Amino acid sequence: MHLRIDDIAKSWGGHTVLDHVSFNAGENEFVCLLGPSGCGKTTLLRLVAGLTAPDAGRIVLGGRDITEVPARERRMGLVFQAYSLFPDMTAAANVGYPMRLRRDPPAKIAARSSELLERVGLGGLGARFPDELSGGQQQRVALARALATEPAMLLLDEPLSALDPAIRGQLRTEIRSLQRALGIPTIMVTHDQEEALAMADTIVCMNHGRIEQTGSPRDLYERPRTRFVAEFIGRANLFPTSFVRDALPGFLERRPPGTDATYELCLRPEDVAIAADARGDGVVEDTTFLGNLARVTLAWRGRRVVVEVSGRDALTRGQTVSVDALRGAWVCA
Amino acid sequence: MTASARSRPRFAGALLLGVPALALLLFFVHPLATVLWRSVTDADGALTLANFMRLSDDPGLPRAAWHSVAIGLATTACTVPIGLVVAMALHRSRLRGKRLIRGVLVLPMLAPSLVLGLGLVCLLGHNGLVHRLTGLPTDIYGFWGLLLANTMYGLPQATIIVSAALARTPARHYDAATSMGATDWRQFVDVTLPRLRFALLAAAFLVFTETLTDFGSAVVVGGGYRVLAMEIYSEVVGQLDFAMGATLGVLLLAPALLSVWLGRMAKRRQDSGDASPGRPLVPAHDLRRDTLLGAVTWIALLPVIAVVATVAYVSLVKLWPYDRALTLANYMAGMPDGYGPVATSLGVSLLAACVGTPMVFALAAGLRRAPVAVARPVQFLASLPAAVPGMVLGLGYVLTFNHGPLSPWLYGSALLVAACSLYHYHAQSFLTMQTGMRQAPEALEDAVLVFGGETRHVLRDAILPFAAPAAVSTFFYLFMRSLVTLSGVIFLVTPELGLASVTVMRLDENGFLAQAAAYAMCVVLAGGLALGAMRLLLHLIKDRRHVA
Repeated sequence: MHLRIDDIAKSWGGHTVLDHVSFNAGENEFVCLLGPSGCGKTTLLRLVAGLTAPDAGRIVLGGRDITEVPARERRMGLVFQAYSLFPDMTAAANVGYPMRLRRDPPAKIAARSSELLERVGLGGLGARFPDELSGGQQQRVALARALATEPAMLLLDEPLSALDPAIRGQLRTEIRSLQRALGIPTIMVTHDQEEALAMADTIVCMNHGRIEQTGSPRDLYERPRTRFVAEFIGRANLFPTSFVRDALPGFLERRPPGTDATYELCLRPEDVAIAADARGDGVVEDTTFLGNLARVTLAWRGRRVVVEVSGRDALTRGQTVSVDALRGAWVCA
Repeated sequence: MTASARSRPRFAGALLLGVPALALLLFFVHPLATVLWRSVTDADGALTLANFMRLSDDPGLPRAAWHSVAIGLATTACTVPIGLVVAMALHRSRLRGKRLIRGVLVLPMLAPSLVLGLGLVCLLGHNGLVHRLTGLPTDIYGFWGLLLANTMYGLPQATIIVSAALARTPARHYDAATSMGATDWRQFVDVTLPRLRFALLAAAFLVFTETLTDFGSAVVVGGGYRVLAMEIYSEVVGQLDFAMGATLGVLLLAPALLSVWLGRMAKRRQDSGDASPGRPLVPAHDLRRDTLLGAVTWIALLPVIAVVATVAYVSLVKLWPYDRALTLANYMAGMPDGYGPVATSLGVSLLAACVGTPMVFALAAGLRRAPVAVARPVQFLASLPAAVPGMVLGLGYVLTFNHGPLSPWLYGSALLVAACSLYHYHAQSFLTMQTGMRQAPEALEDAVLVFGGETRHVLRDAILPFAAPAAVSTFFYLFMRSLVTLSGVIFLVTPELGLASVTVMRLDENGFLAQAAAYAMCVVLAGGLALGAMRLLLHLIKDRRHVA
């Protein structure tokens, strides 16, 4: 089903949380709402779920305006960050809960619960209570429960944030393949850019209640349109126009028109090539060995530049290097 | 269709909040306002300050006010340090018999406050056990008797507040202090005491308010040392001067309000402290410390044991104090009204608990999602009863419900007495329930709504599993408090509706001490059984439930 968020505004006690936000989520699409805490992404998700009402704007699902439809009639499957399982119900009872509210026949509930638990890799654990399950297992139960009533959409509110890094990575892949297999449109809220890059078809990057940029992960990484996106997703070296004119004049021709202050050049760390060169004008200030990579901080023409090179390239502090920029993108300052 | 569908849960939510809030207005704010109104109007209902002018006409009244403040301050000064020592003995020592200490501490809370006074009189009065056995001239009536009775009554409450703060202090602070070479005494001064500041303040304000507004001890051991609560009683019951009673009530209300407000401020500051207690502290071996704490604790608890034991003994005596042959007659035929008043008390308490618990539950649940503009005033009103002396509330009930549109249904009914007990102890029950409910994560409520649940499903599946222990505690708290309260209900009893605590007082006034003691023991026993039942129930819930 297709979801359209149309010019949604929401404020709380005079504080603007969402400032006329619009985006679309297509059929079968996995959309990530990405942004720092307080950017309005969770509020946006709650609006889609029907847990909060917008001050203005419309929410259209599959051609039907659902702005005024209460949460329980929207048929959304919701997974929260943590602590959303009923503590005194077993895993199977938790999964069956939405179906019990719909008064489905018990036999059908039991069959579907165990099928869903099987599907999320918890077959045979249906009789366990939430406090007898690990954090990752609890989130799988929550996922199964969200899918129980064949929802129109899946809404995930930071579902992995409370988990250990190892489990997080594993569950990331599983959620994504489950979503693909079921072909269910999904919106996930996250503040973890790596998670968004790894999972999303489309990232909606938000800041201060506004959408900074919408696009595919590759789009946002390689062609950030604003300084915020450049800095929030991945690492970025940002250079003002005057500096570029001096040091990297080749980039000037692709610069959009505007005063010096409107645009900055963004160079990703891997887009800068360096080579040991006794006559180079860069000086290695610091290196951090990361295994496959080494992150090198340079002093170059009065600026500090972060560069990533292969971990095998041995560079030492104080060494002089030559510097060359391979690719770059102009962003709104 | 959408508009009505959207409004349904809102309507249920409003109902959840509306019914208990309305009851709060009707049975608490309304009587309180009546007392205030009565104190500033004359017989024709015209506004006047004449009642307050009349206060100084009777030299006894300013003196009673002074007495109340003096006994309040003295009791606070005694109770808080002792409470600190007992709490330290419970949480910072390796003393044996902590269970026993806790058991003794429970005793004063199981009985109406006047039972402690009754025991004191039987032990140390003109004709008390000590005089009978030793021939020493003993006289406990007056300031010292009141001080002793009120200290015994306040000690458990002060200890509980300080204990809670001690239990919250994480062990890592002591580890840090030890690693820096601080002695035990320095740790007490630098780590323990600063964290107890607000608890000690809160305990002080609580004990002061309780003592200031206490009626039970005053009526039994006060003797010629008249306090304000006694004066209100005399004005209303003796001279039927309701206006004067109301005026004195307002006089009593002012310092109580101030004290509770200050206590609340102190508590708010303290709440911003450690959120996670971490690993609990295990005190090191220290014989000197344990001996000292143990000695002070048991010296402080000895009077409690002696007094309760005396009441138990007196209840078994044929004709106190002249014929001390042991008998069960006081329990069998000696009680003038049989077990009627005890049964009534149990019934009223059960009613207060059965009606009160769902009311308080609904109020706390309704407030969870209420807009701030509604939540703030309701929260204030729900916690306000802590500042209102039972006697003032009871007087308000008489003034409000003896006449007027509701009186045909309510006057002299068990329901009215139950309501008075409920709203007298509303603040503590409400705060307990609210604290318990805070453990229910909001995500769970959202989950129920998203999956198609209604308000009742939210209550049953998302809130109740977390609030169940608080609900059990609230139920038994209301039951036990209603069983022992005297000051609130003293004006509400009628010849047909006798309560155990009031009967104890009447028997004591008329010199039937043995029968009074027998009634008192029945109440203590019922309270003890209720406490046991509560512990058992909480234990069972804890075993069964999977709430982290």
